[in-house]
Amino acid sequence: MKKNKNWRPLRLLNLNRLLLSLVYIFSKFPRFSNAFMYLLRPLYEPVRETWLNRKLRYGFLTMGGGLLSPGEVKAYGYAAKAVLDNFNDVVRAHRRNRPIVWVEWILNAELCEAFDVVSFNSAALNVFGNIDGMATPSLLIEEAEKQGTPVEYCSAMKLDVGAYLLKQIPQPTVTIAGSHPCDTNVSVAQTIEYLTGVPSFVFDVPYWKDESSFAYTEEQIWDQIRFLEESLSRKIDWERLRDMLERVNKFNFYLGEICEMHKAVPCPGTMINLAFAWVVREINVRSPYALRMAEDLYRVVKGRYERGRGVVRREKVRVLLWFPPIAFFTYLFKWMEHEFGAVIVADFIGQVSTVQIDTSSRETMIRDLAKTQMYLAMGRQCHGPVEFITDEMERFFDAYRVDCMIFTGHQGCKHGWAAAKIIQDICKKRKMPALYLTIDIMDQRCLNEQGVRNEITAFFKSHGWA
Amino acid sequence: MDIFEKIKIMAGKDANEFLEGAIKNGKKAIGYFCSYVPEEIIHAAGFVPYRMRAIASGGTSRGDIYFSAINCTFVRHCFHKALQGDFGFLDGVIFMNGCDHTRRMYDNWRHADIKPDFRYMFVAPHVVNKTARKRFIDEIATFRQALSGHFGVQITDEALRESIRLYNRKRSLLAELYESRRQEILPIRGSELLNILMAVTMMPVEDSIALLEEVKNTIRGRAASSSGDVRIFLASGCVEEGEHLELIETCGGAIVADNICYGARHLDSIVDPAEDPIQGLAARYLDHVSCPRMIDDFRRRLDYLNCAIREYSADAVIAEKLKFCDLWGGEIYIIRKESKKRGFPVLALERELYGAGEGQIRTRLQAFFEQIRNRRAADQEMFKAAGNNYTVS
Repeated sequence: MKKNKNWRPLRLLNLNRLLLSLVYIFSKFPRFSNAFMYLLRPLYEPVRETWLNRKLRYGFLTMGGGLLSPGEVKAYGYAAKAVLDNFNDVVRAHRRNRPIVWVEWILNAELCEAFDVVSFNSAALNVFGNIDGMATPSLLIEEAEKQGTPVEYCSAMKLDVGAYLLKQIPQPTVTIAGSHPCDTNVSVAQTIEYLTGVPSFVFDVPYWKDESSFAYTEEQIWDQIRFLEESLSRKIDWERLRDMLERVNKFNFYLGEICEMHKAVPCPGTMINLAFAWVVREINVRSPYALRMAEDLYRVVKGRYERGRGVVRREKVRVLLWFPPIAFFTYLFKWMEHEFGAVIVADFIGQVSTVQIDTSSRETMIRDLAKTQMYLAMGRQCHGPVEFITDEMERFFDAYRVDCMIFTGHQGCKHGWAAAKIIQDICKKRKMPALYLTIDIMDQRCLNEQGVRNEITAFFKSHGWA
Repeated sequence: MDIFEKIKIMAGKDANEFLEGAIKNGKKAIGYFCSYVPEEIIHAAGFVPYRMRAIASGGTSRGDIYFSAINCTFVRHCFHKALQGDFGFLDGVIFMNGCDHTRRMYDNWRHADIKPDFRYMFVAPHVVNKTARKRFIDEIATFRQALSGHFGVQITDEALRESIRLYNRKRSLLAELYESRRQEILPIRGSELLNILMAVTMMPVEDSIALLEEVKNTIRGRAASSSGDVRIFLASGCVEEGEHLELIETCGGAIVADNICYGARHLDSIVDPAEDPIQGLAARYLDHVSCPRMIDDFRRRLDYLNCAIREYSADAVIAEKLKFCDLWGGEIYIIRKESKKRGFPVLALERELYGAGEGQIRTRLQAFFEQIRNRRAADQEMFKAAGNNYTVS
């Protein structure tokens, strides 16, 4: 592993800005980009990361390695632009000493739009840190551990702390945190508040998902508005919020439709699109480019759906990927399709199932914003009883006509592993073949890309699908 | 056998004669999991609140079927006991969203369909503010309804006030014992207090008050530590084993204050008897010295720590956690950072509940105490070196 890395402040963010700009430019010529990535495949797909392909391999593989359709590549370009715009705003705000609001993942960053301030998702480098090479996330995690962060924390959050300590993410003005999806979040929110020394607003995410829980979240959003008004010394602009939420409604509509179309046999879409859309949603759903991405993805999947075509020529296996996808191996989706004709038809984070926000009044906007926050993927499943995980899983078994399940048992996820026996029993009862991976989704040192490929290959072979 | 030995035996078992007597007389016992569950509601229903514990589990093998190796030993031991039928005397169990490990206990308990039938998830907020207080009031009221609905009993305001009075009395007595450790020579050791708390959280409150009165009378003029002991503030989550605290004491430590489940978090502050009972309970249970599950309260916990160090003349802090406890892992990180700012020594320990490793812990404790004594001695030497004729008359 490379030591003595250059940790110039915000280096990773700047590297991402450069590469995301390239993605955006190349996506203007989707056919050319696809052909280019396809031709170069021998240099990065079958081989591991080398000094030659280190800076580009992750990006190329996330872009499908030439296997996505030109329409999807174009949509990815818009996604890259949405993320790029956010990173640019963040770096600019940092340089000019303007307010930056850290909004933890699985919370609504939309309110920041209404305050005309830059929001930053402190978990952004969980995915985008890989662009610098596979060793980088591990180095950030190590830095956090070296400074005393508990090793058993979920690595996603250790990575945030490491990135902050190494000044790879900017100093916030205020932070917005929440009590879901897990204890690491609860704990890291305090660590971050202690380290940064800035005011923090914390959402107490209710345990249940009923009317009183929605009302409680709604009340907290009003508190959040008061907090932001006081901390940022500016007033909320309701018109901006309305515009923003109307875009979010459209964004959710398109993605929700894609999820519905995934129920078709053969499945017309690839799940990496939706997983990627979740990342974009987390980072900058405020950008008009996020909506353009959703529109384009919808158009591509709809086209296939109407023609009765699948994302692969011969769909052999329909897979449910349960629990968060592997951040360092985003190519998993396309690899399974390409190698085995196995299509991930639904997963834990890409699935959009939420309400449309009624923008007719301030009250309805906040009421429904509370609901959308509670329906955000990962938060929706992880904050309450195990049924929030298993009911959705079983629903997907039926609705998506799933042949098997892959459980990405993330190392730091204590409540996930404490539910594993229940999940296993359900699969056994329903005679659902399941592969239980023991993995760290952020850190390849637990099980690396090759290890994942080997385990999945062996699983498919043992069921006669390979 | 003196009273402390009697209590130690009681604390080492699942149940004691007081609880068994109450059950024999037709009382129902209701288990609950966390310091945020209001015992008064259970008591006002005519039941005996029983703090769930892992004691005398004999292992985790059955619990390990449901919980993984990255779950803490408290839940694995407890669930092992549940599957063995050790909690068969309970008529209900109140779970809580205390942490990721314990909240899944509710799920696994239902999945394994372990008796009793009344299994209730009590939800406490993760923040301390006005909005959360309102929510907590509703939660306590819902809990009251659920309990009375299931068992067909009335929980009247009058009964609640009486329960509040009794529990206030119990907490005040515990607080007196706790605070007696401000003295230079402790009249009661930390391990003894832990045993008392283990015992009184599994018996009718009326009996516990009588027992505490007896203890209070016994400790007058008692010397349970020596002046050379290193005075310790203990910060931790689940500590059940009196033997573990005895280990600290035999190495030369005297636990003078704490923030542990069976300690300050149980006895800190009383319910305001003048307030509406439910509102009073919500205020007390939300505002007592908190556990790291309360996200926005770490500054108040640090204040409590700093204040206790001053008031109880603590020389050092031992901050412990069970393996895989994120919440206490993060808290220890903050305590260590704070120790550098404030200059108090900290020993961070990680351990398993009822686990091995006593030798390792002993070595670490001995080394830590030696450092502190050396520091103390060095300070005294400096004082001497300065001569004793410099004092201003």
